[in-house]
Amino acid sequence: MSWAAHQFEIYAVEAHLPKKMVGKISWFAIFFGDFTPDFLAKFWVYGFNLNGHHYGATKPYEWHRGWPGMGFAHTLFFGAIVCLGIWAWKHNRAWTIGFLLGFTAHVLTDVNDSIGTMLLFPFSTLNWSLHTWAYAATVKGGKYLDAAAYYSSLGFAMDLFWFFVVLGSWRVLTREFWRTRVVPADPHVWSWLGQWIDERGLLALYRGVFFYGACRMVAWATWAHVVARPVINGVKHNGYPLDLSWTGPWWVQRVTLPHVTPWIVLPVTLVLLGAVYFVANTLWERMESGSTKAIAWRNVRRNTT
Amino acid sequence: MSEPTRPMPPPAPGTPSKYVDFLLYASAAVTYTTLSIYNKWLLDWIVGPLWLVAWVWGLPALVKLVRRQPVRPRRDPFEARD
Repeated sequence: MSWAAHQFEIYAVEAHLPKKMVGKISWFAIFFGDFTPDFLAKFWVYGFNLNGHHYGATKPYEWHRGWPGMGFAHTLFFGAIVCLGIWAWKHNRAWTIGFLLGFTAHVLTDVNDSIGTMLLFPFSTLNWSLHTWAYAATVKGGKYLDAAAYYSSLGFAMDLFWFFVVLGSWRVLTREFWRTRVVPADPHVWSWLGQWIDERGLLALYRGVFFYGACRMVAWATWAHVVARPVINGVKHNGYPLDLSWTGPWWVQRVTLPHVTPWIVLPVTLVLLGAVYFVANTLWERMESGSTKAIAWRNVRRNTT
Repeated sequence: MSEPTRPMPPPAPGTPSKYVDFLLYASAAVTYTTLSIYNKWLLDWIVGPLWLVAWVWGLPALVKLVRRQPVRPRRDPFEARD
């Protein structure tokens, strides 16, 4: 799984929207799209302890990304179903396409860990994984070991990559960008929030997810490499050992699920990314005629003639 | 969804400077990161963004409250100020 990368990619998507969608895609939709897969699946992955009993998945990796389990929440098929639901409910392309883009970003970046995602679900329940780093959520290790392994592997590099992608598009974090591109795409939500919070607070709310991503990356990495004193194979270490080799770190057991050969994962992932981009682009124009605003305009014209 | 973009309004009299904003953001990041290294429950997707809002908006609002100045925003925060 990816950690802060999921927070950063929201802003990366927002900053690199196709030209015709600039200022028209809901930032909240991108956020919820990116957030939904883990919101549905992650809580039970770590579980919780109550009265000395652990409640949670017995095989976290299978629950998180496999089938049977909640692995379908990390599939493009599920994202498409939710998008259809949003469109049927609201007829709002800013939310439908925004959700699709955020969701796709999450599902495709998660092919990097050792269990990956079921990209072709429901046609195939095989997982697609690049095995870039080890998936380390276990019942015994919980969130701490998972974080330590992630921030000791190429997962850390993944977070940094997305962090610098956003910094390279730093304008996405400016007040001007927020005013001219983000607010116009979601005027009702922002003005509703504006009843209680002034502009400075609204801007902080918009930047908040990036802030959270950056701070959690620093905090977990600092804890893993400076504060923690793990005992690995009977040897006490000052911080978890960093291992930037493929499928690292070496000191954690790498779990896998039935999967396709890793060699075809990257090209297929890129093809799927292109396909989603193409579908979003194609649907964008067609959705205009069916959007709530277009229906409202048609009603106005009908009433005035 | 697609509304014409509005020109940037001039800052209202008494609006804190960018320097103050920078200090607020920087102090929010330092406090949140430092505290969360030892209190992992803070590393939560709700707490994180709210921490920033509380620090950047809540603290100045608190100062305004103490000074008995109005805290609630104008009806339309995007309306050009006069």
